[in-house]
Amino acid sequence: MLIKHYLALFLLFFSTSIFAQNKFTLSGTIRDAATGETLIGATVRITGASTAATLTNNYGYFALTQPEGTYTVAISYTGYPSVVKTINLTKDIKLNEELKSANDLAEVTVNANNRKNENVKSAQMGLERIDMKALNSIPVLLGEKDILKTIQLLPGVKSGGEGNTGFYVRGGAADQNLIILDEAVVYNSSHLLGFFSTFNADAIKDVSLYKGGMPAQYGGRLSSVLDVKMDDGNNKEFKFQGGLGLIASRLKAEGPIVKDRGSFMVSFRRTYIDLFLRSSPDSTVNGSTLNFYDINAKANYKINDRNTIYISGYFGKDNIGVKDLFENNWGNVTTTIRLNHIFSDRLFSNTSLIYNNYNYTVRLLNDATNFKATSLVRDFNFKEDFQYFSNKHILRFGLNATQHRISPIDIDSDEASQVNSLSQERRYGIESAAYISDEWAVNEHLNFLYGVRLAAFSLMGPGNFSNYDVDGNITSTENVAKGKFYKSYFNLEPRFSVSYLFNEQNSIKASYNRNTQNVHILTNATSSSPTDQYVLSSNNIKPEIADQVALGYFKNIQDNNYELSAEVYYKWLQNQIDYKNAAELLANTNVESELLYGVGRAYGLELFFKKKFGKLNGWVGYTLSRTERKFTELNNGKYFPARQDRTHDISVVGIYNMTKRWTFSSSFIYSTGNAVTYPAGKYSIGGQMAYYYTQRNAGRMPYNMRLDVSATLEGKPGKKYQSSWNFGVYNLLGRKNPYSIEFITDPENPGKTAAQQTSLFGLIPSITWNFKF
Amino acid sequence: MKKLIIYFSLFTFCFAGCKKIISIDTENADPQIVIEGKINDQLIDQQIKISKTIGYTEVNVFPKVSGASVTVTDNKGNSYVFKEGTTPGTYINRMKGVPGVTYSLKVTAEGQTYTASSKMPNVVKMDSIGVIKNFFFGRERKTAAVFLKDPVNETNFYHFNLYVNDVLSERFYVNNDRLTNGNDLRIQLFFKPPTNDHDSDELNSNDKIRIEMECIDSNIFDYWYALSQQSNRGPNQGTTPANPTSNISNQALGYFSANTYQVISATVK
Repeated sequence: MLIKHYLALFLLFFSTSIFAQNKFTLSGTIRDAATGETLIGATVRITGASTAATLTNNYGYFALTQPEGTYTVAISYTGYPSVVKTINLTKDIKLNEELKSANDLAEVTVNANNRKNENVKSAQMGLERIDMKALNSIPVLLGEKDILKTIQLLPGVKSGGEGNTGFYVRGGAADQNLIILDEAVVYNSSHLLGFFSTFNADAIKDVSLYKGGMPAQYGGRLSSVLDVKMDDGNNKEFKFQGGLGLIASRLKAEGPIVKDRGSFMVSFRRTYIDLFLRSSPDSTVNGSTLNFYDINAKANYKINDRNTIYISGYFGKDNIGVKDLFENNWGNVTTTIRLNHIFSDRLFSNTSLIYNNYNYTVRLLNDATNFKATSLVRDFNFKEDFQYFSNKHILRFGLNATQHRISPIDIDSDEASQVNSLSQERRYGIESAAYISDEWAVNEHLNFLYGVRLAAFSLMGPGNFSNYDVDGNITSTENVAKGKFYKSYFNLEPRFSVSYLFNEQNSIKASYNRNTQNVHILTNATSSSPTDQYVLSSNNIKPEIADQVALGYFKNIQDNNYELSAEVYYKWLQNQIDYKNAAELLANTNVESELLYGVGRAYGLELFFKKKFGKLNGWVGYTLSRTERKFTELNNGKYFPARQDRTHDISVVGIYNMTKRWTFSSSFIYSTGNAVTYPAGKYSIGGQMAYYYTQRNAGRMPYNMRLDVSATLEGKPGKKYQSSWNFGVYNLLGRKNPYSIEFITDPENPGKTAAQQTSLFGLIPSITWNFKF
Repeated sequence: MKKLIIYFSLFTFCFAGCKKIISIDTENADPQIVIEGKINDQLIDQQIKISKTIGYTEVNVFPKVSGASVTVTDNKGNSYVFKEGTTPGTYINRMKGVPGVTYSLKVTAEGQTYTASSKMPNVVKMDSIGVIKNFFFGRERKTAAVFLKDPVNETNFYHFNLYVNDVLSERFYVNNDRLTNGNDLRIQLFFKPPTNDHDSDELNSNDKIRIEMECIDSNIFDYWYALSQQSNRGPNQGTTPANPTSNISNQALGYFSANTYQVISATVK
């Protein structure tokens, strides 16, 4: 019913534009003049008989339809001087422009009219885009620049822990973030136990994080969308860049396949901690491994003006091993083939075929427990996305179908091993969605972005599916044949955002959106672990549902030199997952009998102040929030704080471009400690001491506070060969931030108990050398 | 497994002194009753202990609960009355449990009644104990181990106690045969002394080790397993700590277990 209603609305809006007279379309692609990279989110504004503005889409494409007449076209993009042109719109016009980066020009003062007010104007809320240039100067652990650590410095995004790339958005869990790399889902985005992310910043072109108000083309996770796009590669000339850091070295090559028509990019990164291990005289140490590597590759080719094909892939692997004890490796693979097709100046389509997997292997080499355990999550994904640019509307609609296969665990052991071979049943699921949304500029003041996504999920055979009683005993088991639908869920996800501009500098926005999730991680560890287990919605596990409302005030000051925003949000969560006491999650066929289902709520206030330009720029973010969960079986059925509930979160980032060559930057974070369960009493059991717990997560870890600094020295400008040095200090104050707490016998008073805190990182200096030619 | 990874990462990243004592903000809960009852298959003074919890900040002296009435009945129609012996709060009866028999406990203390039942599993023979040498980053480390043959035709749950020079190791050792059914098992028991001194967790030559093995029922396995999941990691790591699910009614803490009992001693060479 609701769909019909929506469709009727859409048709109504369209009828107005379709029958309008003497209108022509200005369309084209905006690129960087030096590299040929398409520019995402560049503003194209035309003024004349009427005024209109739009942003380039993810492929640098834009289209504007206006009445016949003479117009001034201004194209602007942060960090690039504007290009202004005059056009006679008497027919449909193609305008493919290349902008020259301010960095490539000798003397440029970025002037005021380059500065766009997009944060104020767009109906989109809760969107943060990471400036890849700023990313390079923000100090990070061991100098390894990282997009996931940078987004943690934004309000509403909480770190998964010290130095960790896991993150929580507006009270969501770590597995409720949709992380996509060139459209492909990256299941496990962490390297080396979460200290580094799978995203090699060298290969990344654009990062957008949606904390709320997700547009309808995104779905499948509750809390956020992190849309990461790889570099297309320079289509003008061959370029190389790379770097040597304390943790990893990087090398990237890019260049034209056919000049101005196609390009490629290959980027490689590998760590070398294990080279130090290898140099140890000790045989156990030098036989140990500890490394990760990743490869990003992409190629594109413009077949003709209407068709461009892109192929991109990611391959990453972590290896950890202690000689004669264990080996563990894990990694993601993604492959995306995409075709951009321009049906007409106004209708842009993107067809994607995607393959991605996440797998891990654990091998125990102990002579009595010798076995190899493997696990795999594999998706085939098809996406068809259309964008239709009309006079005042940008209509987006499409389809998405994903087939999931999960091999929870296969244990392979020999006769002598005390662990038995085992193959846990594969699970198959099909997730499909249809969506439609409209970005509607009603007038100078009012913008809507609204749509709906119909999400369907089906758990498929073959398989044996059990139902359980409250004690976890099997009550019935159904054998389902291959290809049969066993359990299906349909969810309608409305998405709605509106902005009202008081003037160019002030606006208010509101949004509501519903998201659902059918792929869940089962883990009782704090941060992402390589052996995280993925499960699909089933007869026992219902789709997780989140409803979020948000309201915000946005303001630009001094020609957009300063950006200010305040957002409040409230989020309701349904069908959240927790675990029974003594739950055994790994290699357990009846793992669904160990789960508890409950609800959650999260609300907060986010303040953001950003200085965008000038010698000194950066931002201050503050979040005041609460995140709670409620399960009948836990905490007497009362709401309790989720572990990531941190009342206050402050981050300050400052970047100071002192001279052309020297840039200094620093970041400071403060956050309330995690909510944890402390003992309220103790007793003797089995001759040992055990702790008595009352309220769940009523305690607090000590607060986190850290100051990181870095300095970058660029080589002399103007040369073909460029190199730079980056010096950094992580945790300059040397504060011992809490990682974990254990309870021990009080060293001062042996009859009593003391809490002992473990910290991970003290003050850690780093140095990185980067080059480019 | 996971712990090994954590050790490994700590080894790699923990550069400076990274442990310190902190004070935490927690309430001291009101005393709760704790019942620990065991019936094993030996003819001994079987013990049911009743005590109370103390607040987190208090000195580790756990008050005993005297004057309770304690009865154990079995599904063969026998009834055993447990009397408070010379140790206050410990109620004893000289009897011998039988595998396959279900025992029910009834305790009345301070006006409240608590009940529980447990079925004694079959005996699985503890074949031997020994010492295994592991190498952790080039350092040889001796570990106590139990050897036994898991029966293939039943689900088994084991609980162990390790004593080194008569000092009880402060870990909860518990196993099931979910992934190891029917195999010759070698179960390693890593020693954790009651002191904070991490160097004293190694076994040395001439140390006397003693291992007790109990075959337990599934509820008791869950009980010990929940404790073992929490004991070595504090809050913020791993499972959110909670009171293990007790098989005793009326919200008593503790457990009532009918289990088999074997013990073997040896000296580390």
